Amino acid sequence: MEKANTQNIPSPIGENKQRIDARDKVTGAAIYADDFQFGNSLLHARIKRSPHPHALIKKIDTTKARALPGVKAIVTGEDFPGYIGLYLQDRFIFCRERVRYVGDPVAGVAAISEEIAQKALDMIEVECEILEPVLDPEFGVSPKAPLIHPDLGQYVVASFILPKPGTNISNHFKIRKGDVDSAWEKCAAIVERKYRIPHIQHVPIEPHVAIAKVDESGGVTLWGSSQSPFAQRNLIAQSMGISQSDMRVIAPIVGGGFGSKAGVSMEALAVAIATKVKGRPVKLLLTREEEFFTAFVRQGLVAYFKMGCDEKGRLLAVENRFYWDAGAYTEYGVNITRASGYSSSGPYEVPNVKTDSYCVYTNHPVGGPMRGFGMPEMHAGLEQCIDELALQIGMDAVAFRKLNCLKTGSILVTGSKMHPTGLPQCVEIVAEAIGWGKKSPPSAPHKRRGKGLALMWKAPAMPPNAGSSAWVELAEDGTLNVGVGGQEIGQGVFTVAAQMAAAALGVPYESVRIATPIDTRYSPYEWQTVASRLTWSMGNAIVRAAKDARRQILEVVAEAWEETIEDLDIVNGVVISFKSEKEIPLKNLVIYGLPKPGDQGWRGGPVIGRSNFMPTYVTGLDPETGQGERAVVHYTTGAQAVELEVDLDTGRIEILKGVSAFDVGKAINPEMVKAQMEGGFVQGMSSALFEILQLKGGVVQNPSFVDYRIATSADIPKDLQAYIVEVAQDDGPWGARGIGEHSMVPTIPAIANAIYDAVGVRFEGPPFTAEKVYLAMQDAGLIE
Amino acid sequence: MTINTHPTLPEFEYVRPETLAEASEFLTRYPGEARPFLGGTDIFVRMRDGLITPNFLVDVKKLDGTNDLRFEPQAGLTLGAAVNMNRVIASREVQAHYPLLAEACRSVASYQLRTRATVVGNICNASPAGDTIGACLVFNGVLHIHEVNGLRQEPLAEFFLGPGKTTLKPGDIVTAIHLPLPPKGCAGVYLKLGRNKLSDLSLVGVTALGHPDPSLPSGYRFRLALASVAPVPLVPTQAETYLANQPITPETIREAAHLAAEACAPIDDLRGSARYRKEMVRNLSAKALSEVWEKLK
Amino acid sequence: MAFHKVNVTINGEMEQVVVPSNMTLMRMLREILAFTGTKNGCSAGECGACTVLLNGEPVNSCMVLAVECDGTEIITVEGLAGDKQLDPIQEAMIQEGGVQCGFCTPGILISSYALLKRNPNPSEDEIREALVGNLCRCTGYVRIIESVKEAAKRS
Repeated sequence: MEKANTQNIPSPIGENKQRIDARDKVTGAAIYADDFQFGNSLLHARIKRSPHPHALIKKIDTTKARALPGVKAIVTGEDFPGYIGLYLQDRFIFCRERVRYVGDPVAGVAAISEEIAQKALDMIEVECEILEPVLDPEFGVSPKAPLIHPDLGQYVVASFILPKPGTNISNHFKIRKGDVDSAWEKCAAIVERKYRIPHIQHVPIEPHVAIAKVDESGGVTLWGSSQSPFAQRNLIAQSMGISQSDMRVIAPIVGGGFGSKAGVSMEALAVAIATKVKGRPVKLLLTREEEFFTAFVRQGLVAYFKMGCDEKGRLLAVENRFYWDAGAYTEYGVNITRASGYSSSGPYEVPNVKTDSYCVYTNHPVGGPMRGFGMPEMHAGLEQCIDELALQIGMDAVAFRKLNCLKTGSILVTGSKMHPTGLPQCVEIVAEAIGWGKKSPPSAPHKRRGKGLALMWKAPAMPPNAGSSAWVELAEDGTLNVGVGGQEIGQGVFTVAAQMAAAALGVPYESVRIATPIDTRYSPYEWQTVASRLTWSMGNAIVRAAKDARRQILEVVAEAWEETIEDLDIVNGVVISFKSEKEIPLKNLVIYGLPKPGDQGWRGGPVIGRSNFMPTYVTGLDPETGQGERAVVHYTTGAQAVELEVDLDTGRIEILKGVSAFDVGKAINPEMVKAQMEGGFVQGMSSALFEILQLKGGVVQNPSFVDYRIATSADIPKDLQAYIVEVAQDDGPWGARGIGEHSMVPTIPAIANAIYDAVGVRFEGPPFTAEKVYLAMQDAGLIE
Repeated sequence: MTINTHPTLPEFEYVRPETLAEASEFLTRYPGEARPFLGGTDIFVRMRDGLITPNFLVDVKKLDGTNDLRFEPQAGLTLGAAVNMNRVIASREVQAHYPLLAEACRSVASYQLRTRATVVGNICNASPAGDTIGACLVFNGVLHIHEVNGLRQEPLAEFFLGPGKTTLKPGDIVTAIHLPLPPKGCAGVYLKLGRNKLSDLSLVGVTALGHPDPSLPSGYRFRLALASVAPVPLVPTQAETYLANQPITPETIREAAHLAAEACAPIDDLRGSARYRKEMVRNLSAKALSEVWEKLK
Repeated sequence: MAFHKVNVTINGEMEQVVVPSNMTLMRMLREILAFTGTKNGCSAGECGACTVLLNGEPVNSCMVLAVECDGTEIITVEGLAGDKQLDPIQEAMIQEGGVQCGFCTPGILISSYALLKRNPNPSEDEIREALVGNLCRCTGYVRIIESVKEAAKRS
């Protein structure tokens, strides 16, 4: 019998399966971290925070606060001497000796109510000696700047991060490829520009929350809204000086992350306070205002670009300097500096590249990972320079990009070769969909229309040994329970995980369950839910685990039926034989096994498949040249185009149409892939038009939704299109690559290029507010 | 706004008097400690930020007449203090006689906020940015105020003293805003510029109303009110007077808009610069006046 | 601080609770009655995650005092579905992919439900306007708007 009849069973791969978590989410049944009920034993924590950007702590007096009835514990930095940090251990849980940004935690209170904890804050007296702050990264690298971390040389740091002790530079990443200096004279056109990309924030609608409880024996349980339960287990345990096995993190689904809930942000504060009130859970829930003041920010960037091409438009040289305004602690930001460095050519083949990417300590809020991990900030300038270069050499911007963009086999900025890529198709698709080259009339006499386009690339930025693991087990009813450590943060990974597990084992999608919430005691290890890496990395682990279970099942059946496993398959939850045409449903064997004939005992037993995945093929980069064989696993590439209208009377921009095309390798769930493209476009659009964390003297001026505006339902384009390109990835499940972050990477420059097309003005950086556009048009003489 | 904004509302006592007299008496007894409140949309936010610390919030939403929305063909519209903005927007009478007021209400925040927000609350907050104040000004609104010694009426035009400051004294409760009958043949428009397309506070708001008036040299009276460009909601009388005396043409409208811009005294703040605001007063006033003129012609 | 007895009907069930003056409706729902479907996103009336129906009209429950709700009827997201049958807006939100992280979803559902009650055939602009008080950071709103259109067709 041929295997042909299995072809009739639709694989869930590439199908638009309904989200596995949708029903719970529309009925209010879905449980988020703040929804857990702890009863009357719950204590509430509030944090005393620094009002100064940079100061030495002289004295903290908690006497009065301790005397307040209802206050159960007060902690300060004295109690917790351990450093904490992901790539660079440069933070204390509570400040010791020095505060480095407005909002830096100085003391923590646990009380029987939030109100009492809040009152206690005002009764804690802190004496400080104010120091000069660093509020600009270019000043920060200068010898005049005060040192923010005098102990930088003593910090524990990952091998691929290169701090410069005695300065405010916590990482300096270099690219030296070819010979930039001699390339300039061969250039027929050169563009040199400076950009300033402001701090913005992730703004998940769910604020950060952590609840910690410490047992009498010292065991810690942490419930939190977390993208990184395993990293939190490791880093908090290390910092507190306890064993990782004594640190348990329980992480239910996340109400939006975008990077802000990656690594350790505020969770260690709750754990630290809980150590002083053993047996009682302590909840720390950030207010929205506290979010804006103290949660991770997308760090600021001051970027210098110099790009040149020959008379035919071929890119010859790129020279960049990036100064990342990484804030008070750069434990996570140092790797953004590295990622932007090894991607600093943009998605183009350029023979000569020189890049210096500096991670600079400032007395600004702490930079963390945010959707795109440095790429939206870098592309914001780079993709405008490409437009300007094309204009200067007299080429159409799309033709210029088609000529220079990465193709399969192109030599990358790091010296390695580009894997198969659909970037050229992406450019074609968005250019066609936006009607490139065709000008449509504005909707009113006082309006001007423009179109703009931008490309992008991005690799998952992570250590080379970031691993995934997974298990699968089957229940008596044949349902498949899939254990994962990657988090559902809205992107739909539980759904995709279920689709992949179903396909790899041979059961219907509907009979797959995901073992939730993530619990570091029971769930398999996952590095972090970041870098758009789960579909790919965790997906590989799931497929391998499912295959492990499949092998166990088929071996038992083969033995029982006296056939070989090559004769067997699992289809729709049934083991079938192509040879004998026998069938047996999985539920009949996956727990109790199969009886041997003649009551001679049983074979098999409970099936549990397990496996892992780690990209062991990733190599390092030379610290002086940034060259290496395969520094990253792969790059997702894509393009966006927009059409917009500028109101000459107000400067207000209306985005009329947005088009995205990304090469995702393989869309496991196409509609959810498109949803990522739409959501990313709108978040990118929001950052282009509205968003800026206004910092004055280190103080956030707009710490609420009243003045930190994000896109609403009324602001989005009426026409938003998403196109999937599929050029398979060699190391991805079914060829899949990530798509979570990429869709907000090219949006700022696409909009900037469209504004230029409409009214001929450019800006040092976003947001392109109505006011900025209006005043620029006025200064340019376009309006009176 | 401080880093340690209250996670929830700070402690206070909720008081709900049965009568206006009782309410006034209570407010007079605790000056500086007790505040009347309606929807709370502004007060609650300021309490969380620690900007105000009332010991008592006096709920005046159930008191006599505060829930009435009454239109009398001879007298005009009386809008009780507790009537929420969604009710104003949905009212057939408001739509028929004061569409400008409905339009202004509709520009405020979001639907769910407008279930709580009231026009009288908007007025009493005395924010220069109040979106509904302009409409009430150009319709010559009069406030009905209950005070310890009885009732008084106060023209809205004389009510504002500065940002957040009004003529209200402890014990005063605004029970209603009364809008006289709209001028015959009038047309109005509210143009609001926010950062987002909808839902934002006004960076600049321009209310314009026009109607035929044979007693004037131009034959038309135009009224203007400007939001967010001065310490109080601003009526640029020079611009109004100019249009009363000049023939209405695109040129005179432009000049009136220029006069409106000259009259305002905006500040630089987070939401926008003084320079931009002034420009926007000019452009939006010109646009608003033109739109009104188109409707009148 | 004084406490107040509040009689309130929530999703059709009578409840009696005792609340302090400063307790908001949102906190009463989440902390006393454990209706945790109502979410706390900003406590300032800006994000809409805590939107519930108060006597049939949507409000930000963080901007309403619990004590003010004496004698009222509240509907939360938990009350939209009847007898395991989802409301058309819930069905549509699943089908059209209007849900990602799900944190804004309860508020979006309540606002949409209220819109469809007062206007069974809203235009796209009316849908957008009705949802401006519900911030969503994941979806870009596209599929949420489609969900409301689809629900209008179904009901």
